[in-house]
Amino acid sequence: MSVNVSTLQARISGESTASSPLSTEEYFVNMGPQHPSTHGVLRLVLRLDGETVRDVVPVLGYIHRGIEKMGEHGNYRQFVHLVDRMDYLAALSNNWAVTMVVEKAAKMETTDRIQAIRTLVCELQRIQSHQLWWGVFGMDLGGFTPFFYGLRDREQLCDIFEKTIGARLTMNYIQPGGVMYDIHPDFVKDVKTFLAYFKSKLPEYDTLMSENVIIQERLRGIGKLSAERALALGATGPVLRASGVAHDLRKSEPYGLYSQVDFDVPVGTTGDCWDRYWVRMEEMRQSIRIVEQLIDNIPEGKTFMVKPAAKIKVPAGVHYSHMETPRGVLGVVLVSDGKESPYRIHCRTPNFNNLWCIGEMATGGRIGDLVAMLSSIDLVIPDIDR
Amino acid sequence: MDAPNLIAAVQALQPDATVREKTDRPTLIVPAEGLVALATRLRDDPALKFELLEAHTAIDWIEEDRFELLYLLASIAHGHVLTLSVSVDRENPEVPTLCNVYPIAEWLERESYDLMGILYDDHPDLRRLFLEDDWVGFPLRKDYEDDFMLERPE
Amino acid sequence: MGVITDKLPGVLEPVPGGQVLLTAVDQLINWSRSNSLWPLTFGTSCCAIEMMMATGAARHDMARFGAEVARPSPRQADLLVIAGTIVKRMAPRLRTLYEQMAEPRYVMATGSCAICGGPFMYDSYTTIRGADEVIPVDVYVPGCPPRPEAFFYGLLTLQKMIREGESIRHPGERRRPVLAALPEGMTLDDIRKEMQDLLSHDANVKMVDELAEGAHFSAELKDF
Repeated sequence: MSVNVSTLQARISGESTASSPLSTEEYFVNMGPQHPSTHGVLRLVLRLDGETVRDVVPVLGYIHRGIEKMGEHGNYRQFVHLVDRMDYLAALSNNWAVTMVVEKAAKMETTDRIQAIRTLVCELQRIQSHQLWWGVFGMDLGGFTPFFYGLRDREQLCDIFEKTIGARLTMNYIQPGGVMYDIHPDFVKDVKTFLAYFKSKLPEYDTLMSENVIIQERLRGIGKLSAERALALGATGPVLRASGVAHDLRKSEPYGLYSQVDFDVPVGTTGDCWDRYWVRMEEMRQSIRIVEQLIDNIPEGKTFMVKPAAKIKVPAGVHYSHMETPRGVLGVVLVSDGKESPYRIHCRTPNFNNLWCIGEMATGGRIGDLVAMLSSIDLVIPDIDR
Repeated sequence: MDAPNLIAAVQALQPDATVREKTDRPTLIVPAEGLVALATRLRDDPALKFELLEAHTAIDWIEEDRFELLYLLASIAHGHVLTLSVSVDRENPEVPTLCNVYPIAEWLERESYDLMGILYDDHPDLRRLFLEDDWVGFPLRKDYEDDFMLERPE
Repeated sequence: MGVITDKLPGVLEPVPGGQVLLTAVDQLINWSRSNSLWPLTFGTSCCAIEMMMATGAARHDMARFGAEVARPSPRQADLLVIAGTIVKRMAPRLRTLYEQMAEPRYVMATGSCAICGGPFMYDSYTTIRGADEVIPVDVYVPGCPPRPEAFFYGLLTLQKMIREGESIRHPGERRRPVLAALPEGMTLDDIRKEMQDLLSHDANVKMVDELAEGAHFSAELKDF
């Protein structure tokens, strides 16, 4: 038994593993932290043998803000607005994850109306998040047009959120005990208009990217991840489902109103970049189905059970609750000692686990495919670093 | 498997495991020594089949002078969950690594070393994850002090 | 072709065969600099998404204001938009990026995090409380994150600063940094109207009155 503490320098030094019969030399390339296709400030140290990737060493911490430490110094409502800035493309899901664990621990009751609104806005945001992913994915593969298409449609959803919530990105909407405001009177009409609009636009997405032979050639068979390795690496969300494991917390442990709606969980077969692309495209269609079933049936009721200013006391103990965000399972470990602020709070974020699959996918592949693999995981870096 | 059956099944594997109170998931306190053997059997036993290490984190119980490590396991095949709780001494926080059972543990343990200072025996690549290699101290410990941090005014 | 939000400085003197432009070199250089800003694609967190919506996406389209070409390399950029939190580990890299940019270079700090640390100001052991502790900042744009309209307001403020700012005889002399907060009580319609006024200065743009013909405009968008 021995404990040795290592350094980055030691990690990237070591014997050459070049396998060519020619005399070759390995070299290192630093990708990031300022790089347009790492989607933020991720740094990858690549060990290359010619164009073949021999090793990928992700280096994190360029946006580590210490959210968990800050959580210990504030109360529960203050923590909700911090997690907005974690996975900012799915801020509502993050709000809900914290809300869920606090409500479960403090045994707070909610109404069906609250749950319906939460389910609706989270599904709309899943569409919104995948729209941005689709646009950026197309841009990373070398085409700029998908970026325009994706962001054009994303703006429509931004408008809907802005009317009800008042924010475009960092929502702070779902709170322990309810939602901050009731939905805007135009909400139902706007969402229906959007759905009709977006359903006519989805075939455009297909003709531009899915049916494009260049895109298919660049994605099929690239960055394969088997189901066993995906589970061993703790991947969740579309990355795991693309490998053929139908694990979706909306189905297996329904929360909100997911038990009352009918939808399918798309799964892939081989776990390559194309499967991950296809799973997300199909998830957008399933989200539309969920929204369509709920939008006409929002029950009447209160939207906040207690006064928003009330302080919450959570009974002492360890509480855990998890949910399915657009990127995978977001779990919150809440350790309380019975006071108004948590004793320790830990977020199990989907991107943290999904990131390490890049080593499995990229090793042995070509450097030209690396950007497609990175983009197919759909990383949000502040969600990894927290 | 429901919670009482699950706890009974795991206690058959590890007789000295005791139930941890005040949690909302079935949680067992196990000693650090047999952790790797137990985790291997939990993963490979067809009736249990915990193939996913969902999360791993550490809690600093400074008043009791110990760290509590939580391993949150989940089985997708059977749909049941289990948490293992391991206590280590605060002065010498050494536990065996679970890297060989759950590969993701390599990075989860690096995070917990980085922020909490838990030392993992036989870890292949134990180094800082978020902070620089020359950072002093472990920020998530309750007694961490940093001149850089600003106190929130009351 | 970007929209020139200000007339070419100087006077045109008619002479036989055309016109002669009488102007000061400083004014002309500053005018052209202010209308050809190349931003660096640099974003650390949430504000980067709103910056993308402002620069790249079709609805807002920053190209209208002469800041079109986003560059991934700092060697080719002259506007650094700090979009997001800067932490201790990132600070030396931000400094390097700034130093790699060619003179004259301008810095916009967008969002609370880049201004003062924002929601991560207290109790955080890594967050730098304001990007101006690392590099000099010209314009601060408040918001968490700022809307694309607020981002444009900051950009227009920066262009104004550049036009009134340093001269080639005294390089490096800058105006004091400013806070480009949208005036209180300003609504989205006010911003749209102001932008339309700006656009109507440009003879190359044929204006469609979007406010008056809103229904027509959105119908057109659907057919697109």
